[in-house]
Amino acid sequence: MMVLAATCIAVLSVMALALARALHADTVYDRILGINMFGTKTAVLIALMGFLNERPDFLDIAIVYALINFIGMIAVLRFFEYTATDDS
Amino acid sequence: MTNKMITHLTIWTITLSVFWLLLSGFLQPLLLAFGVFSVALVIVLLQRMDNVDQQPVKPALGLPIWRYSLWLIGQVIGSSVNVAKLVWLGNKALTPAVEKLPLTDIPAKNRVLYANSITLTPGTLSIDIDDQHVTVHALEKASIEELKAGDMAHKIAAVFGGKAQ
Amino acid sequence: MILEMISNIFLILGAFFALTGAVGLFKFPDFFTRVHAASVTDSIATILLFSGLILRTEFDLVTVKLVFVLVFLLLTSPTASHALAKSARHGLLATSAETLSKTNKDNN
Repeated sequence: MMVLAATCIAVLSVMALALARALHADTVYDRILGINMFGTKTAVLIALMGFLNERPDFLDIAIVYALINFIGMIAVLRFFEYTATDDS
Repeated sequence: MTNKMITHLTIWTITLSVFWLLLSGFLQPLLLAFGVFSVALVIVLLQRMDNVDQQPVKPALGLPIWRYSLWLIGQVIGSSVNVAKLVWLGNKALTPAVEKLPLTDIPAKNRVLYANSITLTPGTLSIDIDDQHVTVHALEKASIEELKAGDMAHKIAAVFGGKAQ
Repeated sequence: MILEMISNIFLILGAFFALTGAVGLFKFPDFFTRVHAASVTDSIATILLFSGLILRTEFDLVTVKLVFVLVFLLLTSPTASHALAKSARHGLLATSAETLSKTNKDNN
């Protein structure tokens, strides 16, 4: 249980770092990279939380988050593929 | 032709039903009816789309894909340790490189697997892909040399073995 | 008991690799090298963390769902990285190999 909690904290700090990267970035692509990492780690964190609370039903929510993150990523990239400007 | 089509659709029906049951885990009549409805809908769509593009794809569930996956996980572990070292040692050791690798040896339907495997392995990233080449960005020159040696390409070409055109 | 020990090791290693990737996001010099750092967290950290969780289940439907999330993440994360790199390339972002040769030219 200790290890699970520690892993949760580690994943949370990874998410914080990814968000910080997205906030302080040189280009729009760096921001998207940070957000993508944040999204995938959300799915992992929800799965970990399910085990921490001993409620494995959380896994269904993790699946949904993984799906939405992927589709959202592709949609955003479609939008930026040819219209990106340097916002540094 | 029609016989082949029927076996093809049956294989997909069984795969999708098993998949649905594993995700749901409930055996109540109402939910099962929903499951049957979804599977039927997907099969109808699949059949119509196969009619349009004339290249039906089988679900790859045979032994070779498992063997390949195990090998790929081994590669991922090795190169992850490598990239982790680069992160902690600072960026003086970085030698980023971009190169075009030929794709002509690999059957068309395995190319997605090839490009995805390149990206999944830390240290190499497929940037662009066209009919003849895949453009690869690598963190170290050595990893491009490794890809050029063609170990991964040979293994991919063997995944669908004789069935590849 | 042994399974739990192995699971703990996997979880700790996974957390370590995830942190490594996040630190790499800040330490690496340009966009394309940072994608490599992110792919460390996406591939090996995901594999290790989910394997750790799988060893903690009673090998029933929960295990299957974990395997499904793992396979799904392993299929989609390279696709997302590829789409990102491709659109960065089309957005005319030079790779660092190209930037290096350009700055050398400027210095000369």
